[in-house]
Amino acid sequence: MSAQAATRAPRLAATAGRSIRRTRPAPQLKPLKRDEKGLPVPHVHVVVRDTHRSRLADHYHNTLQDDLLYMTYVHEPTPRPPPRPPRLTYDPNDPYTKHRFNPPLGGNRWSKQLPPPASPDNIIQLERIQIHSQIKQATVSRTNLLGPIMALRAISGANDQAGGQHTAEGVQIVRGRKNLQGWVRPGIPVGVKVDLKGPQMWDFLSILVEFVLPRLRDFQGIPLEGPSNRLDKPHSASGVVSFGLPPTALGLFPQIEVNYDAYPAPFGMHIHFVTSAKGVGAQNRARALLSGFQIPFARS
Amino acid sequence: MLSRNAVSTCRHRSRACLHAPSRSLASVASSSSSAASSEPSTSKAVLHAAVILNRSPIITRTPTLFERAYYAYQSRIRRALFNPFPTDFYFKTGSLLEKKFAREEKVREREAFGGPWTVKRQGPESEDEVGTSTADQAESMGEEPMDPPAPRIHESDRTGDVKSLDRMSERNLYLLVRGKDHLGNEVWRFPQGGLHEGEHLHQAALRDLTAECGENMDTWIVGKKPIAVHQAPLSESVKKSLGGAELYTFFLKAHILAGQARPNGTNVTDFAWLTKEEIEPRVDQAYWASVKDILSDF
Repeated sequence: MSAQAATRAPRLAATAGRSIRRTRPAPQLKPLKRDEKGLPVPHVHVVVRDTHRSRLADHYHNTLQDDLLYMTYVHEPTPRPPPRPPRLTYDPNDPYTKHRFNPPLGGNRWSKQLPPPASPDNIIQLERIQIHSQIKQATVSRTNLLGPIMALRAISGANDQAGGQHTAEGVQIVRGRKNLQGWVRPGIPVGVKVDLKGPQMWDFLSILVEFVLPRLRDFQGIPLEGPSNRLDKPHSASGVVSFGLPPTALGLFPQIEVNYDAYPAPFGMHIHFVTSAKGVGAQNRARALLSGFQIPFARS
Repeated sequence: MLSRNAVSTCRHRSRACLHAPSRSLASVASSSSSAASSEPSTSKAVLHAAVILNRSPIITRTPTLFERAYYAYQSRIRRALFNPFPTDFYFKTGSLLEKKFAREEKVREREAFGGPWTVKRQGPESEDEVGTSTADQAESMGEEPMDPPAPRIHESDRTGDVKSLDRMSERNLYLLVRGKDHLGNEVWRFPQGGLHEGEHLHQAALRDLTAECGENMDTWIVGKKPIAVHQAPLSESVKKSLGGAELYTFFLKAHILAGQARPNGTNVTDFAWLTKEEIEPRVDQAYWASVKDILSDF
């Protein structure tokens, strides 16, 4: 059988060649890309890794990790009692519903779970920083997104598949999901976001803490929630700390300050610090972690 | 039915604090954490609170030769794989600024990869583009040239001044004092002292630290929980004098942010800021065994 016929009918290919295993067709080799002179550009598996030591990453491993272990440790002298079995939607013994997808009634209550027992292996870590900005003018004209895309690219240093890392996504466009009259329709571009991990994340955090936050007008700190705030709600149990920057803060980033006039209109942004803390009171632990990086918090 | 609005003590984790002031991150200290009655009724205990005062590293670790070569290599690869710069967004096509940027990029390329790799056609002109120093560039942009950074090795590293807080900038330093222990011998130990009636461990630790080392230090104690415990072996006579009780010393971690230690001269005569390896030969072996695992190797 030819390779093409084998692609279309893999089962027949197996019986024809008397092989029990399903055979995969031979990979179709794509022709090499050509550069402007017409010469083939070979594919090179080169991945860029760390280009420098991250000062804040070192600070976390030298100092913060120990301190956070001590601060977030909860002593459990007796092992935890087994959790109560949840009430399931269907009776698992009834043969009619036995193998049906059976979620617990009222949801899996993930935000009400206690955090796992404290140990040196699960100390809270900063996983990623997400910058998100909704550009209202984008509904009028898509070209209004270009300035924010370039600005976020300059601030974050993120590019699609940058450095040969195929999971790097760069600056992404946020599209509308719901139909709200006069504001947003499904599918139209409405904002921009970028996800920072690794050395880029530490660099962004150090620039934020050293250049932007100290020069921000009327900024005392990220607002703290009051004592009446419940710790077992999804917001408090997700381990994410968020705050916003006004449009005036854009010019405080040194990457933007150097050619501020190149960007058509300043815009504000939301910054989300995503940590590995989960469970009741995770946001408080996330705030303790961020305080170690000199991010101020203030009573609102 | 447990009321969700009640703030309950976190003695047993099953009844979690669902409302807690955002300030107190650690679990609510149960009332009997520091009192002697926490021990089983058969033997009494006398508690001491000690402070491991830590000076965090001031500068990052010096990279090894391999690390420097690796980072230089990765930087060059990163530069080679850069996305093309969007000149049409930042510059008007054919403008003077665009040409200036192209010239500066050429300089940066040469710095990263070497070159020029082309045959020199016009000899004297090509010399002008290469080698604008950073000081000249800064002055051309209208900024003041930056002062060179301070040297990584401080004066106290050369002289071996163990009282200086600038020594060993890359390492973690800990405050060790020379003072009397529970037996009255002069030993090198961490600052410590006893607990007053109804006092928490972290409160006693701060009070004892200022009593032994003066109030000239800006310190912060990490949390309210101790991080290590040392049970000093006691002779029979000392045990009788303590009323048959065991002596436990609980250590709490603290950071120094500013200031310097000033020994009070009565029960503490000398002090030193030492790294982990420098502490080991000075302290008692049993004491070291209790304390060595909480000191940083870096």
